[in-house]
Amino acid sequence: MTENRGAGHLGTQQLIRYAILSYWAIFWLFNMVDKVIGGAHFLWVGRDRFAQFQKYFDSVGLDAPHVANAALVVAAALEAFALLFFATAAFREFRGHHDEAHRNALVGTLFTLGTFTFFSIGDHWFGDRFELLEHTLFWFVSLASWAAFSQLQPMAESTQGALPRRETLLAAVVGAALVLATGTAIFKHNTTDFIKRSAAITAEPAGDHLYKVSFPFLGGSTVFENSLARFKEDHPDEAIDHIYTVPGPLRLKKADALIFYIATEDRP
Amino acid sequence: MKERRLIRCAILVFWTLFWGLSVVDKIIPDVRFLWVGKDFFALFIKFFGSLGLKDPLFATCALAAVSALEAVNFGLHAAALASFFKREETVTDRRYFRAILASMVLFSLFSIADQVFGDRFQLLEHGLFWLVLLASWVVFRHVPLGDRTISLSPPKSVRWTLIAGLMLTVLTSWSIFQFSEATFSNASAPVQGEEVVEGVYKFDFPFLADKRVWEATVNTFMADHPELDVRYIYTGPSELNSKKKTHLLLYVFTEPRP
Repeated sequence: MTENRGAGHLGTQQLIRYAILSYWAIFWLFNMVDKVIGGAHFLWVGRDRFAQFQKYFDSVGLDAPHVANAALVVAAALEAFALLFFATAAFREFRGHHDEAHRNALVGTLFTLGTFTFFSIGDHWFGDRFELLEHTLFWFVSLASWAAFSQLQPMAESTQGALPRRETLLAAVVGAALVLATGTAIFKHNTTDFIKRSAAITAEPAGDHLYKVSFPFLGGSTVFENSLARFKEDHPDEAIDHIYTVPGPLRLKKADALIFYIATEDRP
Repeated sequence: MKERRLIRCAILVFWTLFWGLSVVDKIIPDVRFLWVGKDFFALFIKFFGSLGLKDPLFATCALAAVSALEAVNFGLHAAALASFFKREETVTDRRYFRAILASMVLFSLFSIADQVFGDRFQLLEHGLFWLVLLASWVVFRHVPLGDRTISLSPPKSVRWTLIAGLMLTVLTSWSIFQFSEATFSNASAPVQGEEVVEGVYKFDFPFLADKRVWEATVNTFMADHPELDVRYIYTGPSELNSKKKTHLLLYVFTEPRP
């Protein structure tokens, strides 16, 4: 069994090995947490996998919730084992037991590859090409990270020397100046623009019984509702006939946020 | 089983399934019981229609050619997998090389078509698949994977990991079943509206809701408010949603009945 020489002599290859194992352990840990929590709560949104699986199986005619539950349990089992093997590998690697770490990371990688293969079968079956691409990419990332991990030598000497004192000082001064400039800009923007998260927008006349509302990027359902309330207050003699949302292709790419028109008619 | 063999097996199984299911998707072209898949015929018809080739013969011939190439890819991958299981290493390498080459040719053809039809998202998708194929072959053939053996009877430390994995699976399964039981009614129950502006009601649809929930919601709302006329229903665009937390917002505009 190969042993580490201590944290003071970490080589670049050893650091990348830590990074790979930590990444996958954290990746699967948060997937498990997402499954255990289930649904959106205060401080956690996650993804409603039950709703996603239920809709997939319903689309092929299997609407019983037990089918979606069973598929989720299989996915959860694969993810649980991937998590535990990567977590064990990371623990062993930090303790300097590289052979043990290697064996656990290999099993963790096989569970990861198996999980994404399982998901890819579902993507073909349910016709979700975007998820197929996503899962194939994750499958490949797992394979590539294993290839990198297995080639890196835990005992290799560091090829990185320390930065010269002058360069370090210069980097620190420039870095601090940039942090100050960006920090000031961000806080200033927050002071002037956060109000747009809820403030009502006044509709501008755009034609006969037609009004235009241009949303700010921060606008959401609260802005929409407040804007409607203001519109009703400002135009008590008109009733809303319908609302037309300007589709994406008609907007000026990223410069325009949501735009909609309110068409009205005179109240009898 | 040796480490190298395990990784190679994972690569071959993934791509054999990938092409096998792509062929199945072409054999079952429509939505059926137990299969949805993707309607490539409709996609091809639209692509060729945009070029001015409205005759369905063009799309049909193109789809038949693509299906034939996918069947060849599947056959080559399946042959490589079969020789892998027979432990014929040289034959496996040769067959897998042919399979990868044929697959890359197919994705190159797709990419040419994406440029002709101006579909940049599909171009990115096919470019990425092409890259993953290439990288899979590099890992399969040229990365010196270790010769360590993974024993089928694991050591004591691994046995503890397996026990912990089983316990974690049981815990997660319990949570999944609880959540399923608590939320499954959302797949059919009508959503309750909230009057956000005078005469305007907001409905925050859950993730499980579909067209049946929409119908139940509108009918229930009308039955509960016989004094109101529904004048207009507005589907809130995605910009109104709080990112991943909201699924669908619906606004119902009403007026008092005369």
